[in-house]
Amino acid sequence: MASSGGEWSAEQIDDYEALISTTDVELLKKAWRNEKASPEILPFEEALVKRAKEQIQLMEETVDDFEESGHDPLIVSLYQMDLDRVQFLLRSYLRVRLQKIEKFMFYIWKTDTYRNRLSIEEEKFTERCIRDMGKHLEETVLSKMPDNYQSVLKQSVISEEDDMVPEPQLDTFVVAKCERTTRPLYLDGSRQSAGFDSRDDHFQMVPGDLCILRYRPFQEELTSGNISLV
Amino acid sequence: MHGRKAYELVKEFASGEKGHLKIFNNELFERVIEECNEHHNALQSLIRKMQEEGLEVQTAKNADHYGALVHHLSLTRNKRCLMAYVYNRAEIIRDLAWKVGLLHELPSEIQEKFGDSEEQYFKDHSKSLKLYMSQLSLDVNVDMVPPKDPYIKVRVLEDLGSGIILSDKSANFARHSMHFLKRTDAEQYISRGLMEELTG
Repeated sequence: MASSGGEWSAEQIDDYEALISTTDVELLKKAWRNEKASPEILPFEEALVKRAKEQIQLMEETVDDFEESGHDPLIVSLYQMDLDRVQFLLRSYLRVRLQKIEKFMFYIWKTDTYRNRLSIEEEKFTERCIRDMGKHLEETVLSKMPDNYQSVLKQSVISEEDDMVPEPQLDTFVVAKCERTTRPLYLDGSRQSAGFDSRDDHFQMVPGDLCILRYRPFQEELTSGNISLV
Repeated sequence: MHGRKAYELVKEFASGEKGHLKIFNNELFERVIEECNEHHNALQSLIRKMQEEGLEVQTAKNADHYGALVHHLSLTRNKRCLMAYVYNRAEIIRDLAWKVGLLHELPSEIQEKFGDSEEQYFKDHSKSLKLYMSQLSLDVNVDMVPPKDPYIKVRVLEDLGSGIILSDKSANFARHSMHFLKRTDAEQYISRGLMEELTG
C-alpha cells in the first residue's frame, strides 16, 4: 500500500483518503458510529454486514495460512490486530443494535418503521424479548392486579393509547458531521418554503462541518447520508 | 397515605448503586399489591354506591365520583411503581445475561437477590441471546472493549489446572500464575472473574 519512501504529495493523500473512505471497513465504521450515537434504531446494513463477515473469514484464513507457513511473526500479529479491530467493529455494531432492541422492544415492535429496520434475526430476537419480558411482568405484577389494570402496554383499560411503553428520546442532541453539502436547513427542521428569504435562521452545512444538533429534525439528513454522527 | 409504599419501593431501587442488584423486596412488593387491591375494592364500592343512587358514574361530579377517581389514580400510580421496579431490575438482569449468562450459571450471591420469576427471566433472556448468536454464527458478547493489543497479560485468580487449551497453546493455569494470552481467549475467563487483566 504505502509508497516506498519519500513524502506523499497532497494530491496523493487526497486520492488515498477518497479511496479509503469507500472501503467496507470505513463504511462499517460509519454505520457503527451512527448507530452508537443515534437515539433510535437505524436501518440494518444488511449487505455491508454480509460483506464484512465474508472479509473477516477471508482474513482469518490468510492469518492461519501465514501462521502455518512460518511467516514473520510480527507481520502475522499485525494482520491479527487488524482482524481483531474489524471484528470488534462488527460485533459492537450488532451489539449496540441488540441493546437498543432490549431497551425499546415494545415500541419497536408496534412501530412499523422501526420494525422494518430490523434484520430477520433481530426481529426474532425482539419477539422473544417481548415474550420473556411480558411473561416476567405478568408473573410478578400484572396477574396480581385487578381486572382492568392488567395490560402491559396501558395503565388501565380507560387509557386510549399505550401509555406505558418506553420510547426513544429523539429530542436529544447529537454531534453531526457533514458528508455532502446539504440544502438550507432550519434548526426546527421545517422545510424550505415560499417564505424562505424572510427567515434568517437557516444554515447550510458543507463537507467537514461539525454541528451539534437536535436529533429529531435531522433524521432525514442522516438516513440520506448527507450527515453522519460522531 | 396513598402511594407511599410504592414510592418507598422505587426509592429503594433508585438509591442502590448503579448496575447492582439488591435483594428483591418481597415484603414491600406484596404490600403494594395488597394496597392496589384495597384501592380497587374502594373504587368498586364507590361506583356501586353511585349506581344505587341512580347516578351516571361518568357524568355525576359529586364527592363519590372524585373519591373513585383518587382511588383509580392511586392504583395506576402503584402499578407504574411496581412495573418500574420490576422493569428496571430486569434491565440489570439483562446486563448480567450479556456479561456472564451465556457461559455459565450465575454466582450464588447474585441468585439470592433474585425475585421469584427473575431467575427464570435471566435464563430466558440468556437463551434468546444465545439463539440470536447461533443464528448469526457470531458471538457478539466478546470483544466488549475496543482492542488495543491482540495479547494481554493476565493473572489467574482461581486454580484452573492445565485442562484448558487455548487456541494457540496450553499451559498450567495455576492460581496466581501470570500469562500472556490472546485477548479473545482470555476475555471469557476475565468476565467470569477467574482471571484478571494486568495493566501498566
